[in-house]
Amino acid sequence: MSSKSARVSARPVAFCLHALGASSVEFAHLRDALAGEIEVVAIDLPGFGDTAWVDGASVEETVEFVIRRIRAHGAARWMLVGHSMGGKIASIIAARTLSGRAPLFGLAGVVLLAASPVTPEPMAEDRRELMIGWASESHSASDGHLSDESAREFVDANIAEPLAETDMASAVSGVRRTDPLAWRAWLERGSREDWSSEVGNLAVPALIVSGAQDGDLGDPAQRRLNGATYLAAKFVTIEHAAHLLPIERPQEVAAAILTFWRDHAGTSPGVPPSTGRVIASERTSERTRGILSRRVLADDPGYQPLVLSSQQLATLRDIAERLVPQGDDAIDLAARVDQQLGRGGGDGWRNAALPADVDAYRLGLDALVGFGVDTPERQGEMIAQLIDGSFVAEGSTLNSKQLQFWFEDARVDLARQWMAHPATFSRVKYDGFGNGGDGVRKQGFTLLEAGRREAWEPSGGGTE
Amino acid sequence: MNLSGMRVFDHADEVDVIVVGSGAGGAPLTASLASAGLRVVVLEAGPNVEPGDHTPDETEAVDIIWMDERLSGGETPTAFGPNNSGRGVGGSTLHWGAFTPRPDARDMSFRRETGQGVDWPISPSELMPYVARVEQYLGVSGPSNYPWDPDRRYALPPVARNASSEMMMRGCEALGIRATDAPAAVISQDWQQEGFGLRQACVNCGACHQGCRNGAKVSMDTSYLPVALSRGAEIRADSTVHTIETDKSGAVTAVIYRRGGVDHRQRCAMLVLSAGGIETPRLLLHNALANSTGQVGRNFMAHGGVQVWGRFDQLMRSYRGYPSSIISEDMVRPPDAAFVGGYLMQSLGAMPLTFATTLIRGSSLWGPELTEALEQYPYMAGLGINAECLPSDSNRLTLSDEVDELGVPKAHIRFTAGENEKAIEAHAVTTMTNIVSAAGGSDILVLPRSAHTLGTCRLGETADVGVVDADGRSFDIPNLWICDTSVFPSSLTANPGLTMMALSLRTADAILSTTW
Repeated sequence: MSSKSARVSARPVAFCLHALGASSVEFAHLRDALAGEIEVVAIDLPGFGDTAWVDGASVEETVEFVIRRIRAHGAARWMLVGHSMGGKIASIIAARTLSGRAPLFGLAGVVLLAASPVTPEPMAEDRRELMIGWASESHSASDGHLSDESAREFVDANIAEPLAETDMASAVSGVRRTDPLAWRAWLERGSREDWSSEVGNLAVPALIVSGAQDGDLGDPAQRRLNGATYLAAKFVTIEHAAHLLPIERPQEVAAAILTFWRDHAGTSPGVPPSTGRVIASERTSERTRGILSRRVLADDPGYQPLVLSSQQLATLRDIAERLVPQGDDAIDLAARVDQQLGRGGGDGWRNAALPADVDAYRLGLDALVGFGVDTPERQGEMIAQLIDGSFVAEGSTLNSKQLQFWFEDARVDLARQWMAHPATFSRVKYDGFGNGGDGVRKQGFTLLEAGRREAWEPSGGGTE
Repeated sequence: MNLSGMRVFDHADEVDVIVVGSGAGGAPLTASLASAGLRVVVLEAGPNVEPGDHTPDETEAVDIIWMDERLSGGETPTAFGPNNSGRGVGGSTLHWGAFTPRPDARDMSFRRETGQGVDWPISPSELMPYVARVEQYLGVSGPSNYPWDPDRRYALPPVARNASSEMMMRGCEALGIRATDAPAAVISQDWQQEGFGLRQACVNCGACHQGCRNGAKVSMDTSYLPVALSRGAEIRADSTVHTIETDKSGAVTAVIYRRGGVDHRQRCAMLVLSAGGIETPRLLLHNALANSTGQVGRNFMAHGGVQVWGRFDQLMRSYRGYPSSIISEDMVRPPDAAFVGGYLMQSLGAMPLTFATTLIRGSSLWGPELTEALEQYPYMAGLGINAECLPSDSNRLTLSDEVDELGVPKAHIRFTAGENEKAIEAHAVTTMTNIVSAAGGSDILVLPRSAHTLGTCRLGETADVGVVDADGRSFDIPNLWICDTSVFPSSLTANPGLTMMALSLRTADAILSTTW
């Protein structure tokens, strides 16, 4: 594989899922504001905008519709942006991606805008009845859709300040274009469905945005409802906005998304599209796809160690940088080792001369405190001595031999965390994760000779 | 495996036999005993899963590995974890390499031949029919002409060769060393497994050690255990035995095991320990049983398993295909040996994390040199050995001061390779370096390691030298039997899986012929 084809497209894709009574058009300003940084792909959900309601507009059908659209797009690295109703859809897609059930790979973050939770959406019953009533024969326009008057009332109820004339017209048009059956499908069923047990907790980096003047889906509700789903969420509230965030405050929303991408979601090493394509394909089992989908998620920049102290974690990061050097967008190997230690995930044994794994790490790192401020030359000397068993740490309870054994474990642990990342798989030309899917018959490998590649492989068929 | 319709025994029942462990030691025996009408319960510490649930991802595939911590000491501490012991219904056969050379008769009569080591108290001619039975039942793939035993026939043609295989064949041919397709308990064609159903032909996915997903590789959950279940045995997963109860006469009456955080007592007339070379002696030492002569835990052995890798100009990507498809038995007794015994050679496939681990533990690499070496992974191909390890009284398993979650002391294993082991390793490194070089490999990398857990409860003629008699029955406790690799009195050069299953069938016959 040439380095050119291995390069990951710098611009991630944001698949944007709109609110009830809206369409892809509601993300027009956001698209402009993010242009050059993030490619916005806004999707008309079934029964909205230009997408006819053919197969139904239930939550399940909408989720599968969007999954097909994302798959067809082929993005290598992407976010889901869900506004209101679209937020619930986004959360379910995120869950199916991270579990490996969806034939997708490359989800890096979720952005929720005044989003409906995966649990039943809090909504006053009289308001629900009123809105359902707008789609009834007695209230609807001659074409069966919501009347202009109902549409205006709906938009007005969801904004904090008057919109620009064109935006208002566009928002009203979105409501007017909505298939009344899709309108009712959400109000009568979709918004009431409880998907929390399928979705569970999601570790994907998440940005949860609310409008300061929103009602049922404002910041307190977001923290209580969507906060229960997303374990690594950052909450942002936008002033002078109610519920129609991408229309009301597109610049502020765009700025929040960009910060989120640069500081968190987009900080992991990118996986080449060709590798992601195989992981997403039917050659890779759901379980394996889920494992790899979760593993590529960016590490939390504010990671709080589970078993190490902050100082020990910092020392381990400094050591990791020398032992397993990475470029930009590095994996936080030290944090991942801390997590491994915290989960009790040893390797089944330890050298009898060492205390338990966690204790050995703590003592070893304490013995190396200040490693990060030493000169690179001194660091190199220390590492060489740690490896050959001659390093003496004054005041440490670990002797040179014990430090040597511990340091060998640390080298293995850090390198394994690096080696296990799909971005590294691509570097070392490993694609065995695609050795068989979930069909009755597993695919395996057909060409086993040196230098031969099969057509399905990330680097394509041929000889090398 | 599918446990639906399984006969279930009550805790108040005194079952005929409890078998602790469901791997190559416990499973064939359970099938035999249940077929003979005995009421058998298998207690397996690990979970029950379906083959399709396995993942080739090395980090997560440890769910089929015994990952509870062991302390490894001595001058050449052996690695545990993914290197040997398994966990789950099927035991270590879930992750084994399915490399199935037969035990060599010379290795079983080691002391008679060399004056060193020990002999097996079982004659090769008695064990060999059991070996053949296992091979025929499971469907072993192998060459039509086996150079070291021309009369031997395998049920199925060999599995496909990969880049490492071709490399080894090329190198051996250049040096006049005989090598051929390895006997493998991996079916090269679809196979109707008696008692189980269809096992699909190997698709060369390469992930044998992470768990076979289509039944091509032999594991107990797709062979002997379904037979056992259909004959009325119960297989209880997630059940970790920690206590063995005895009566005044010293006979075993029950075991206590932890399942779902709760202790249960199962009564039994007979107990078979098949928990492996570490857990079986650990359980006996913890319960202070079967150890009147202090033999439990002694003579721990691990096969020498040094690897020699070379770098090739072409992409080898040895993670494709069956990982050990070539064998050479030419060094079982090398003519120029400055040692007793010898070793088998095999071609190697390695997954990336396994390669990284072996590379780091076997070298002093760090920094850019390390990442560059790791990036050479797809160009690397290698050979490995399985070498005789002489029993030594100083290589021993004891209980440490630390306890696990169940309050059972962790095992502490001291292992120091002796002069004979070192001499074999040196010979093997030279031989394999020559082969890899002759095949065109450069930048030779030698990675020392050892593998398998053997000895610790060995078979012996008398209680002074063994824990169990030639049939596997405890000298101290007449209704206690041991059937796992802890009973191996010598290591053999053959990898232990096939011998273990044969021994398991033999132990079952011994149990059935016993009045009890």
